[in-house]
Amino acid sequence: MKARRIPEGFWWVFPSIVVLLSLSIYPLLYAVKLSVSDRGNFTRLFSDRLFAVAGAQTIILTVVALAIEFVLGLALAVLIDSLARGRTLFRTALLVPMLMPPVVAAVAWRLIYNPQFGVLNGTLRRLGFNTAHLTWTSGESSALLSVILVDVWEWTPFLFLLLSAGLQAIPTEPLEAARMDGAGAWQIFRDVTLPLLKPTILLALLLRAMDLVRIFDQIFILTQGGPGTATETVSLYIYRTAFRFSNFGYAAAMSFVLLAATMIFSRGLLRVMRSR
Amino acid sequence: MKTALRYTAASVALLAALAPVYWLITISLKREVDQFSYPPAWIGFTATLDHYKEAFAGGSFAAYFGNSVLLAAISTIAALLIGVPAAYGLARFEWPQRWDDRIGDWILSTRMLPPIVTIVPLFLMLREARLLNSIAGLAIVYTGFNLPFVVWMMRGFFEEVPREMEEAAMLDGETRTGALLRIVLPLVKPGLAATAVFCLVVAWNEFLFALILTQTEAAMTLPVGIASHVTQYEIKWGVMSAAGVVAMLPVLVFAAAAQKYLVRGLSLGAVKG
Repeated sequence: MKARRIPEGFWWVFPSIVVLLSLSIYPLLYAVKLSVSDRGNFTRLFSDRLFAVAGAQTIILTVVALAIEFVLGLALAVLIDSLARGRTLFRTALLVPMLMPPVVAAVAWRLIYNPQFGVLNGTLRRLGFNTAHLTWTSGESSALLSVILVDVWEWTPFLFLLLSAGLQAIPTEPLEAARMDGAGAWQIFRDVTLPLLKPTILLALLLRAMDLVRIFDQIFILTQGGPGTATETVSLYIYRTAFRFSNFGYAAAMSFVLLAATMIFSRGLLRVMRSR
Repeated sequence: MKTALRYTAASVALLAALAPVYWLITISLKREVDQFSYPPAWIGFTATLDHYKEAFAGGSFAAYFGNSVLLAAISTIAALLIGVPAAYGLARFEWPQRWDDRIGDWILSTRMLPPIVTIVPLFLMLREARLLNSIAGLAIVYTGFNLPFVVWMMRGFFEEVPREMEEAAMLDGETRTGALLRIVLPLVKPGLAATAVFCLVVAWNEFLFALILTQTEAAMTLPVGIASHVTQYEIKWGVMSAAGVVAMLPVLVFAAAAQKYLVRGLSLGAVKG
């Protein structure tokens, strides 16, 4: 057998590999070591009620926010695409929520949500609504939904932008052929546009889902996981376990559950990207 | 009629997107007595720049701002210096058994690691190296964070340049590196700029790593500085909003500059919008 030669390109890639090994893979192995240092870490996972609550809420938040953002994003993409003029204006304006620092966006929403002096209840009261029961992020039953609303505001533009680009890349011939055959607008959308848009839809959903399961910044500013545990998520719980209670091993063990969830999504993601 | 309905719907979306941002700006400009007046004043209030002065002239936000600028610049340059050659290597050389794709996928998959997974070990590693609460420590982490993105994006841009261009130059006696620097890089300049802008924005907006790795005033970034003021008992909303507006502006300017490549960057190169 011929001796294996190192491909010439390897030396170009080598520095990147070294950096990523030391900043991603080594920490990952370190986390494994931390988590198995105490066998109790993994058994504790199964009996930890707060972890179950945080996990369930992370799933609810991910699924609900993703569903709303997708429907709104798709509707907006189709709507803006159908406008004769002003498309660039609308597109640019819709980018603002997504691009501003998440911390700043969350600060703005704290100002808006405050039940006593916030502008949301203030405006509603002005319009004649009774706002006494509208407690938004400070109400136990409404907090999670309020957090979801902020995420919808911030990230629907992401779905919109990707789907919008996908729509523009669709060839016009199949659409015209369907129109010639006498198909209605809704029928064309359902039977021609949507199937052609499928790879983009899948990609956008996977990218967004990966970010949603690790959600941290907005909730940290808006509610810190409260009131009580109403908006506790896995990332927040891990953060608190490690950096408030200095239980690094248990935090690492929990983070592997999150990693497993992300790996499922990223698998799908790579597959979609390869197939393009 | 139908057109009117469409424009109405689009305008509602536009208002919904911008109203919270506009409200933040008004709070940053209002005197404290007007901030939470009822009914809420969307327009026609007395504007003042006092909160901006308090935040940046007297307060610590100028230092946070400086830290954020330094950090974004250093980590972006480092990620480009390390990542661009890798992207070129994957795009241009012969790799046996599709190793270019395998390495590319592996590099991208490191980007998909949730930050909370690596943050505990990184915190302990930096603590051991005495790099906690330093710009350098955070810059190293951000470089690693942006590197996969640089490799993935630039690989796509390099693959769009025809090979003949540099092969011709190399026949004329250019070295490989010379051809890359003098022929290929100028051709991918817009892509390179867009990639740099994305790295800058990511580093500028990042919160979780900064929160945990910088706990002293001296190394705090703008988002962490803002957050530390929100969680205080008595919140100075005017000062915080002013800091927020200033934190938001550079990102919007950069985004406008790189708009053409926004979709490509956001989809990790998978949608060439």
